[in-house]
Amino acid sequence: MNVIISEWTKLRATRSNVWTLVIAAIATVGVTAIVAHALGAARVAPPAGGPFTPLTASFLGYAEYAVLPVSILGVLAFTTEYSTGLIRTTFTCVPRRRVVLAAKAAVTGTAALVAGEVLAFITFFLTQAMLAADHRGVSLSHPGAVRAVLAAGLLLAVAALTGLGLGAIIRHPAGAIAATVGVIYLITALCLVLPAPWNTRIGRFTLPMAAFQVITGQPRADLLAPWLSLLVVLAWPAAILLAAAVLITRLDP
Amino acid sequence: MSGRAYPVNEPAAGVTTSAPAPLRSIRPVPIEASGLTKRFGPVTAVNDLGFTVRPGLVTGFLGPNGAGKSTTMRMLLGLETPTAGQALIGGRPYPEIRRPLREVGSLLDAGALHGGRTAWTHLLAIAQSNGIGRARVTQVLGQAGLEPVAGRRVQGFSLGMKQRLGIAAALLGDPPVLIFDEPAIGLDAEGIRWIRELFTHLAAEGRTVLVSSHLMGEMAQTADHLIIIGRGRLLADTSTGQFIAANAHHDVLVRSPRDAELTGVLTSAGAAVTAQPDGGLTVTGLDAPAIADLAAARGLPVYELTPRQASLEEAYLDLTADSTEYRAAP
Repeated sequence: MNVIISEWTKLRATRSNVWTLVIAAIATVGVTAIVAHALGAARVAPPAGGPFTPLTASFLGYAEYAVLPVSILGVLAFTTEYSTGLIRTTFTCVPRRRVVLAAKAAVTGTAALVAGEVLAFITFFLTQAMLAADHRGVSLSHPGAVRAVLAAGLLLAVAALTGLGLGAIIRHPAGAIAATVGVIYLITALCLVLPAPWNTRIGRFTLPMAAFQVITGQPRADLLAPWLSLLVVLAWPAAILLAAAVLITRLDP
Repeated sequence: MSGRAYPVNEPAAGVTTSAPAPLRSIRPVPIEASGLTKRFGPVTAVNDLGFTVRPGLVTGFLGPNGAGKSTTMRMLLGLETPTAGQALIGGRPYPEIRRPLREVGSLLDAGALHGGRTAWTHLLAIAQSNGIGRARVTQVLGQAGLEPVAGRRVQGFSLGMKQRLGIAAALLGDPPVLIFDEPAIGLDAEGIRWIRELFTHLAAEGRTVLVSSHLMGEMAQTADHLIIIGRGRLLADTSTGQFIAANAHHDVLVRSPRDAELTGVLTSAGAAVTAQPDGGLTVTGLDAPAIADLAAARGLPVYELTPRQASLEEAYLDLTADSTEYRAAP
């Protein structure tokens, strides 16, 4: 518990972390509102990859504007300590390194989850209000709406923990950010250029496609079922954190 | 280095610190290393090192750059896993100590800070990790003279201020063991006096104080005991007094136009005389007044009479000469 309090102090006392969250929130809400406005006015076609659903319209800004900065926030939780040398202070305070990893994951993951849920509800109500003008909005009582909103919030915790785990493994900020972008976006991009049906057969195990299945009200048949997709979404950070837990005691800082 | 004589057993009395000294007994906790070895690939940084650092003394840990001081200290603190051997603090390896800051305070790298955090939050996060309260954070900030800058972000701190912050962090848990890696770097004269008095004071309270340095002069004035290493091996493990007695040679340089006669006189008085290429005589075994009296009694003119003391720094350089990793080409 002491270690969690200590990690929380580090997170909250670091201005760059707070600013990253604030900017991510403003960008996400802003971009989502713009997209919703455009969709609501029916001036653009719904994005490729699925039919337009009012639900997914709420979270179109998420992929880049929320997930990316929050995943980098996770990366920095470890890599700034390695690059400043502060990790040695941390490990002399808490020699059980896995406890440090667990505490950082708990604090960063919880902060990202709370921020994610708040953001998800804000974007949901905002976009649905805008779509309502076009009589296409839905309310929270719409089937799957609550699940979609909760899942969108959860996605930020997943992004933060994926970044945190890769940061603990790679230790250098630039390398860890590149790896995180690779895991979250580039693997999917590669899958999309594969010939069918391999694009979806492999692609359904990637974070973005699995996340889409969880959030959308109309899951695609060629991807995994929503509940399986949720497992995929959770398995990514779990596997990466597990690898970090193995390496953190084997490699000295 | 400094030309002043090195105080050997200067009493700790007269040492004052701004902090109120807690009048209670400190549990004696020694540091013990045995067979400590660390290899990084083909490089052996620390080689079969064994020593004991005793409570109640300031122990200087000396060696040239690259001698393995920092690696040894990192092994003491569980940050590097030894290739062989073990390092124990109070009989336990560091990683097995619960709330280790209450047992061992350490400063390895004063620059290891997050620039965006304030001195206060930096110390607070460290304190919280070991269940140490806020009152103690305020207390050590005051002890280090950092109270006025407690709320400032550390990126604007000078190296000296960072050292003070690092020392404050080491004191947080009021530990019986303190380990400092090159704490004097970046400190001004007043700062150096402060840490000297602080270390002496901490040792006088019964704490185990291990301080590394690559400068002999700095250590000779602070340390009661010296552990000297070179290329990862133990070169000397001795009290500062013994090291000075064994290494600080005294002699007298004498010049006289009748040097042959003077040599005879001095030799028969029990001195050892060595003729220098430039005509001077190096005399040991007699001090300058005795030489002057003998010469005057025989009516021998003396043009120069200079008492000399080989510096400890020279003795230290001689000792570590074969183990210096980096040196300028002649």
